[in-house]
Amino acid sequence: MKMTSKFLTLLFIATVFNSCNDDDNEPSLVAVESKTATNIPAPQTGGQGQPVGGPFTKFSFATSAVTTSDTDWDIAFRGTTIALNGGAVTGTDDEPTRNGNAGASIASGTFVSISDAAGLTFAQDADGAFAIPTGSDNGWYNYNPQVNQISPIPGKVLVIRTHDDRYAKVEVLSYYKDAPAQPDATSESRYYTFNYVYNPNEGETSLE
Amino acid sequence: MNLNSVLTLVFIGVLRASVFGQEIPVQKDSVLIQDLDEVIVTATRTVRQLSSVPLPVTLISKKQLQKTGVIRLDEILNEQTGITTVADQSGFNGIQIQGISSDYVMILIDGVPLVGRSAGNFDLSRLAVGNIQQIEIVKGPSSSLYGSEALGGVVNIITEIPKEASLNGNVSYRFASFNTQDANLSIKQKFKKFGYSFYGNSLRSDGYDLRPEVEGQTVNPFENYTFNGQLFYNFSDQLKLFTSARYYMENQDVTLSVNDQLIEGLSDINDANAHIRLDSEINTKLQLQYEFYYTNYKASEELQNTVSNTLFSQNDYDQKLFRPEIRATYTVKSKNAITAGIGYSHENLDRTFFDQKVSFDSQYVYAQYDFYPWKKLNLILGARFDNHSEYQSQFSPKASLNFKLSDAISLKGSVGSGFKAPDFRQLYFDFTNAAVGYTVLGYNVAMDKVKALDSQGQLSDILFDLEDLETPLRAESSVGYNIGAGYTKAKVKLNFNLFRNDFKNLIDTRAIARKTNGQNVFSYANFDRIYTTGLELDAEYKLTDKLTLSGGYQLLYAKDKEKKVALERGEVFARDPKSLQTVALDNSDYFGLVNRSRHTANFKLFYEVPKWNFNTNLRINYRSKYGLFDGNGNGIIDTYDTTFVNGYALANLTLNKIFSDKYTLHLGANNLFDYQDAENIPGLAGIQLFTKINIQF
Repeated sequence: MKMTSKFLTLLFIATVFNSCNDDDNEPSLVAVESKTATNIPAPQTGGQGQPVGGPFTKFSFATSAVTTSDTDWDIAFRGTTIALNGGAVTGTDDEPTRNGNAGASIASGTFVSISDAAGLTFAQDADGAFAIPTGSDNGWYNYNPQVNQISPIPGKVLVIRTHDDRYAKVEVLSYYKDAPAQPDATSESRYYTFNYVYNPNEGETSLE
Repeated sequence: MNLNSVLTLVFIGVLRASVFGQEIPVQKDSVLIQDLDEVIVTATRTVRQLSSVPLPVTLISKKQLQKTGVIRLDEILNEQTGITTVADQSGFNGIQIQGISSDYVMILIDGVPLVGRSAGNFDLSRLAVGNIQQIEIVKGPSSSLYGSEALGGVVNIITEIPKEASLNGNVSYRFASFNTQDANLSIKQKFKKFGYSFYGNSLRSDGYDLRPEVEGQTVNPFENYTFNGQLFYNFSDQLKLFTSARYYMENQDVTLSVNDQLIEGLSDINDANAHIRLDSEINTKLQLQYEFYYTNYKASEELQNTVSNTLFSQNDYDQKLFRPEIRATYTVKSKNAITAGIGYSHENLDRTFFDQKVSFDSQYVYAQYDFYPWKKLNLILGARFDNHSEYQSQFSPKASLNFKLSDAISLKGSVGSGFKAPDFRQLYFDFTNAAVGYTVLGYNVAMDKVKALDSQGQLSDILFDLEDLETPLRAESSVGYNIGAGYTKAKVKLNFNLFRNDFKNLIDTRAIARKTNGQNVFSYANFDRIYTTGLELDAEYKLTDKLTLSGGYQLLYAKDKEKKVALERGEVFARDPKSLQTVALDNSDYFGLVNRSRHTANFKLFYEVPKWNFNTNLRINYRSKYGLFDGNGNGIIDTYDTTFVNGYALANLTLNKIFSDKYTLHLGANNLFDYQDAENIPGLAGIQLFTKINIQF
């Protein structure tokens, strides 16, 4: 995996350089970053018929890390729910206040094929509804009750506008610790592993 | 690809056997002729010679049941070409016919339907085979005669009737692995006007455990009993009465582990049937049958948490069916007959997760004309109309023909429609999963229940216009096409059939609202369209009067049409489990529906040694790999799934020795090569040895 992302990064740098050469008047752009976040914990309390609660795990694309900052975060995880730092609180317990301009759009295609965020409609969290819909087969995952398993829906790419108007695309790979190829009953859930590409230039929609 | 290799295998088998067969003195051909007396009633509801029936049918004789030493219906059905036993989530074995799942296969006993699909499948291991005369299987849609549920086919169990004036019957005891004990008693007698029969069976087992590291056994200890009494009275040659009462009960221990706490309890099943039929011959041309049938299936399960000593769950299921029917057969002229029937059916179900007892009422009428427009051509035209209290009425026509090309060869073809009414669960369920928090609602109660949840503030979003739910849920329906040929001559019997079944309005769940706890409210809707298509091939070769070889093969494609369209449009993706890269899939990556093997095959050898009063048989069944569930989140079984169950073959061997005409000693092994797949096929125990003594009197 690491091999691939390095290679992609090189490719992106090359692309960016090319575009710079085309138009010398533009300020030079910072390279697009292609990375993998592994085992981002997303604990929750409740469930089993009880109200769901517990703090969300906040993540910042700019720092490529989990953060406790109340303002400098983009997306946040709790169980299968993904919140955005944009819009309004949905009404669930223990959720973070929204103070940024984050939004999300769910695109279909291979990760590579989603190359630009231009033209997409971005939804924000709102009272009663997350921008990335919750529940099986609505947003990013499928739940199989037969084997009690959460699988990220392949081909669903979450295109994210960050809290400070940068763009990123996210492909969730696994909901289980260490991303086993085929989770089983012993696999520990609520650990996100995802690929993402982040364009650190404000307003730049290119994702490759 | 496998067709060729299977055929080669069969032919090699035949060649080898014929080399071996040369040592046996040549017999006159007459004794080798296939049994032409085989008759079947299920296909037309009249007695028909098996080879003349224009439909794909399978007949399992009493002789075959005895020689194989099987004790339950699922075991023998699984050995037939094109029939595969498939377990549901509760481990109940149902059968798949032509790739159509068990929910769409009707199970009849002496022509009347059995009920009780509390967990999905009709559990065929409920049925003991001790007093069965023959089992008739009609493949393909048969709703034109049998109504709802008969989409995939009909399995009709014909029980034995008394024929002799002296008391006769048999008693047997069978002991097998896992301390499995099966005892049978069957008696019957026929006087001038009066006849009776009684059958009793008891089966108990310690069960088995394929995964000792998991709390509880794979199959827990159980015991069950079957009783069947029948009375026959002939008021005259023209007026005959048949009555039958059947009772089945089963107890099984239940143990499971939830959050490391041991949950224990008991599961109970009680199944009773009463069947009365009066056969009246008005004149040589007109015969009438009056039939009354009542059945009640009850299942209950009570589980206790052994740590906290509290009730963990209580689950009850109580289903009743009452069905009077009148049938008439009018013989227009020799072999040309009109059969017609009219009936009424009342069904009710009271179960946990229903607000109240719910009932269905339906009235139906059917007619069929079986005739020979030309000496060599037999046509059967039939149709049935079902009027139902809870869903739209159904009209199910069917046409079939048999063309006798020569004495040995006949060509067959049929087109028929089938339907399955929405079941009680799909209409009235109200279930909330305590662990995860999602809710499943039946279609007819969904609107009110969603409104109630909304007013309680439990919903964040309603996804559909609830007024849409005022249009009633439609019945699932199918059209089936079968075209084939049969060849029967002297030692050889060949059957070939191409099939195609197109299903529409299949009922599945969809989310209709989102709850504030992040979970969905599901209800049922008509949306899937699927097909199953393939071919079946059966060959039997009576090499000598001592050695019979047979083989069968089915090729099957079973797919979802909507998914095929989505694949064509490039809307379905998969993630390579190794590289974790997402790739777009096309139709060549689509394996098909769950639990369908592309290839299934069987090979059987029956061998007799008359001078030793000995016979033996070896039966091998193979099914190729199949998908158990979608493991990669895209909703289909595809080449990137890692959830395939490997193909496997099971071999069963039985040795039978008869002493002084009365006593038979059976020795055998089921699953001879001890094939196991504990994770994927928990219902498949390892090798099971058995011995049985049977006394005929």
